[in-house]
Amino acid sequence: MLNEEKVILMTKLASYEKREGKANMSVSSYFRGDYISLHLLKAVIVSTISYFIGFGLYLLYYMEDLLENMYEIDFMLLAKNAISIYVVVVVVYCCLSYIVYTYRFVKAKKGVRRYYHNLKKLSVMERQ
Amino acid sequence: MRNLLEIRDQIKRIYSRFEFAILPVLKFMLAFWLLSIVSGKLGYMYQLDNLGLILIASLMCSFLPTGFVIFFAVVLSIAHMYALSLEVAIVGLAVFLILFLLLFRLGGQSGDSLIIVFTVLLATMKIPYVIPIAVGLLATPASVFSVACGLIGYHMVHHVVVNAQSINNMGVEEATAKLRLVVDGLMHNKEMLVMVMAFAVTIIVVYIVRRLSIDYSWTIAMIAGAILNLIILLVGDLMYDTNISLLGAIFGSLLAVGVGKVLEFFRFSVDYSRIENVQFEDDEYYYYVKAIPKMTVAAPTKTVKRINVQRERAAEGRSVVTERTGAGRSNPYGNRRMDAKSITIGKRERISDFEELTDESEE
Repeated sequence: MLNEEKVILMTKLASYEKREGKANMSVSSYFRGDYISLHLLKAVIVSTISYFIGFGLYLLYYMEDLLENMYEIDFMLLAKNAISIYVVVVVVYCCLSYIVYTYRFVKAKKGVRRYYHNLKKLSVMERQ
Repeated sequence: MRNLLEIRDQIKRIYSRFEFAILPVLKFMLAFWLLSIVSGKLGYMYQLDNLGLILIASLMCSFLPTGFVIFFAVVLSIAHMYALSLEVAIVGLAVFLILFLLLFRLGGQSGDSLIIVFTVLLATMKIPYVIPIAVGLLATPASVFSVACGLIGYHMVHHVVVNAQSINNMGVEEATAKLRLVVDGLMHNKEMLVMVMAFAVTIIVVYIVRRLSIDYSWTIAMIAGAILNLIILLVGDLMYDTNISLLGAIFGSLLAVGVGKVLEFFRFSVDYSRIENVQFEDDEYYYYVKAIPKMTVAAPTKTVKRINVQRERAAEGRSVVTERTGAGRSNPYGNRRMDAKSITIGKRERISDFEELTDESEE
């Protein structure tokens, strides 16, 4: 005889595993601090690459001016500005990443907790 | 309303039954639509401006994840930009890389590729105002980054298309001028900036309002979102002189509310007239629960009850074999013939359904 409640529960579990389950499991295998630190590190790398791409574009944009006024440019000031903009870009992007990945971690953890709760319920049903 | 609910249930049933076929077809159509637009708008590399090539790429997209639609569109755009000018292609590649690294990563949940595709498609159709309402209703605030990606990508390509003639007229020695033209078009595009800001705020507000525990939260969210979007666009227009079409924005916002109602009907169809507010407690908490029943209706199923069926045989002089099977030893395939008898059917003969018929023509 089919147990309807059990079938519904099993379908829910299977559908969760199929959709966001896998990604959420890997997220929840981390400690909160580790997960966020890892993604902050990635954010620093990614923002650095993006900054250099942007900086390359900037150099191309002002190439003619830079070549014309090569001897009049204060390169120290230019470097100082470049570094301060780099720091701002990295810090802002890290803040955004922190918010997004904290939210994702909390959401994934909640989903996995619900999944294990349903799994426990299923195992109780099996024993009955 | 009942008919609509029945139609909705039927659509859902058909989709769940044929999902394996419907999904690839939809993805194919979406990819074909986007790639055709990219190829039609840019189309500077004549080798790539080929229907067969677009069809092959779209076919591949139908079986690959949705992100590949964006990948093919970006590759196609950069190739066309390269045919126009190397400098334009460099800027295009740099911008797409920055968008991918910075924004797409943050919004890159499953389904966000679809948001980018729809943002570009609707922006091309001059109705991008549907996007913030739909995304606020269906997705999370993180999708703001995907919408921004789509808008920036669209505006860059649009700027290249508009200035293609000027870029073509510039000589090889004006490489920096070409590069500056594209970068300026992107950096000083106030319309794009205002739109990104307006959409970001609208998505967040729609998301917050639709999750509130108030009656008709979805409807309130979409109307508030549409009005807020309009206000921000108008203020932006006044401040930066963005030349956003007011009539287009109003029409787009009305359309956005219409689309929002359709989405609500499919995703959040509840009956507010039957709300139940219940209160209970356990050892640790008091619970104040508001339960709103979903609007559902069972799709009508046709059950044919056969009481006495009349079978008419038109064939004259045709010979059939009928067999009578006793209860408990029914044999549907008629291998063991019990008490079989051969009869000849006349012009119109009635055969009771209580006799199981094995229709075998005998020569």
